[in-house]
Amino acid sequence: MSTPADVILEVADLRRQFGGVRAVNGASFTVPAGKITGVIGPNGAGKSTVLNIIAGALKPEAGTVSYQGRDITGLPSYKVARQGIIRTFQLSSEFAALTVLENLLVAAPAQRGEKLWQAALGKQYWRSSEQASVERARELLARFEMAAKEDEYAGNLSGGQKRLLELMRGLMAGPTLLLLDEPMAGVSPSLARRIEQHLLDLSGEGLTMLMIEHELAVVERLCDPVVVMAQGRVISQGSMAEVRGDQEVLDAYLIG
Amino acid sequence: MSLAWQFYISTVLVYLGVDVIACWGLNLQFGVAGLVNFAYIVFQAAGAYTAAVLTLGPAKPARLGGFQQYVGGAHWPFPLPILAAGLVGGGLAAVMGSFAIRRLRSDYEAMVMLVVSLIATSVASNQVGLVNGPNGLALVPKPLASLVNLSPVDYQWLFVGLTAAVCLCVYWLVHVVTSAPLGRTLRAVRDNEQAAAALGKNVTGLRMLAFVLGGVIAGISGAILVEFTSAWSPGSWLYPETFVYFTAVIVGGSGNNLGVMVGALLVPVGFLEATRFLPQFGPPGFIDALQWIVVGLLALTFLWFWPRGVIPERRRRFPPVAEARAPRSLIRTRIGR
Repeated sequence: MSTPADVILEVADLRRQFGGVRAVNGASFTVPAGKITGVIGPNGAGKSTVLNIIAGALKPEAGTVSYQGRDITGLPSYKVARQGIIRTFQLSSEFAALTVLENLLVAAPAQRGEKLWQAALGKQYWRSSEQASVERARELLARFEMAAKEDEYAGNLSGGQKRLLELMRGLMAGPTLLLLDEPMAGVSPSLARRIEQHLLDLSGEGLTMLMIEHELAVVERLCDPVVVMAQGRVISQGSMAEVRGDQEVLDAYLIG
Repeated sequence: MSLAWQFYISTVLVYLGVDVIACWGLNLQFGVAGLVNFAYIVFQAAGAYTAAVLTLGPAKPARLGGFQQYVGGAHWPFPLPILAAGLVGGGLAAVMGSFAIRRLRSDYEAMVMLVVSLIATSVASNQVGLVNGPNGLALVPKPLASLVNLSPVDYQWLFVGLTAAVCLCVYWLVHVVTSAPLGRTLRAVRDNEQAAAALGKNVTGLRMLAFVLGGVIAGISGAILVEFTSAWSPGSWLYPETFVYFTAVIVGGSGNNLGVMVGALLVPVGFLEATRFLPQFGPPGFIDALQWIVVGLLALTFLWFWPRGVIPERRRRFPPVAEARAPRSLIRTRIGR
């Protein structure tokens, strides 16, 4: 099957069960480039499982994931990440004993001095690449108003600051597709609005995102298209207005 | 200084060097990469046996007056046995890592390592033909002794110098790893494996790298020790010895090379040497047994009250860009002039 040029990611007929429970049971959808695609659905619909399969954290029993026309099904997480698909976690996943700045530096792709032979060549070899990463990390910190926390241990941040770090660290990795697993879960309403604005800005700059979100009002403001999942399947895909009108969606989620 | 004191102090210095090297290796695995290697002493033992066997020469059959049996004896010149010990330590780590690190999560990995340590002691004790069983290897010739022709006490000091040189080499290795982006990535893997993998880090490869490097360093530490003491037996590397090194790393400051050096000075050397000077009391061997208990209590006390150790892992700060660029602009003005 050929994919249209503007489709960056296509999942087809994904299946995965956990001890007899069919968490994902034939899910198929596409993610268009340059937009924020929302994934909604009731608890247990299989949203996080699909995201984990795309990111390589879980292997599907059947189905394919293709990214920019390449089959990436079953690749391990780090290889998926090196293709430019970066995911964030629903629960904060900071490197607690590293500073905020170091958390970002870890994410810098293809940095010098990360291989043993490069480290053995000494600081001269990797200093300029490190300096460039530090500058980029500081730009992100300034943009997200976290510059004052640069030297703080990530483990000491508040819950909301950890969410921002999660997002900044994902961006530091230079993604072409950012997978967001409830990026505003558990944060104050004002911070949620800030994160929302950041996501809109990033989208405006051309970043493609796939986002799991429970808050329908947020999805309505940010996401187009929207993928609706229920019981391991995709039951509808389209604009929010379109999926709202879908009887199956109403039955499965919006009402029931 | 009297000869007796010179002997004593030089001996303690060599032990200190060996322990510092071993602690750096364990710190790379545990402190930096978060690998709970409860079989660490086995890698030191493998290095010690390797160096001993490659220095002793081929084993003589008993009918020709040979009193020790072992495999693979050779007369390699110094420093080849020490390098070979490093290779064997690293090779053993690669083999053990391929089943314990690749497949298991950290708590199970720690259990497997502890079991491996017990099995290894048992095999070395009971397979007499391998490394002379419970009696171990003895009369390992001292390196360079036949070449330099020094008095015993001068030779002691030569050995101190040699140990110090090896310490410097090992320090260089652990320093380039921990100060480079590689060290930061290893610490990230330690703090959160999943997140590191999601950022494109090959977690298994990185953990294996730290494990093998630690194995190499442990092997070298064993080689230095056996070349100095001339003897090595299963009693030299019982599994509690691993916990002495863990205690040293925890007390000194897990993740900090300088800290674990202080830990090596405080725990295996300072603490265990100090108990030598205690007046003997209780039944024979009572103080020795007490040492294990006190080392265990020391580890628990630090984990409870000072989990980051005497010299904690350093907080890495980065200079502001303007400051970092200052030298460059200075050069420019000079050229301009």
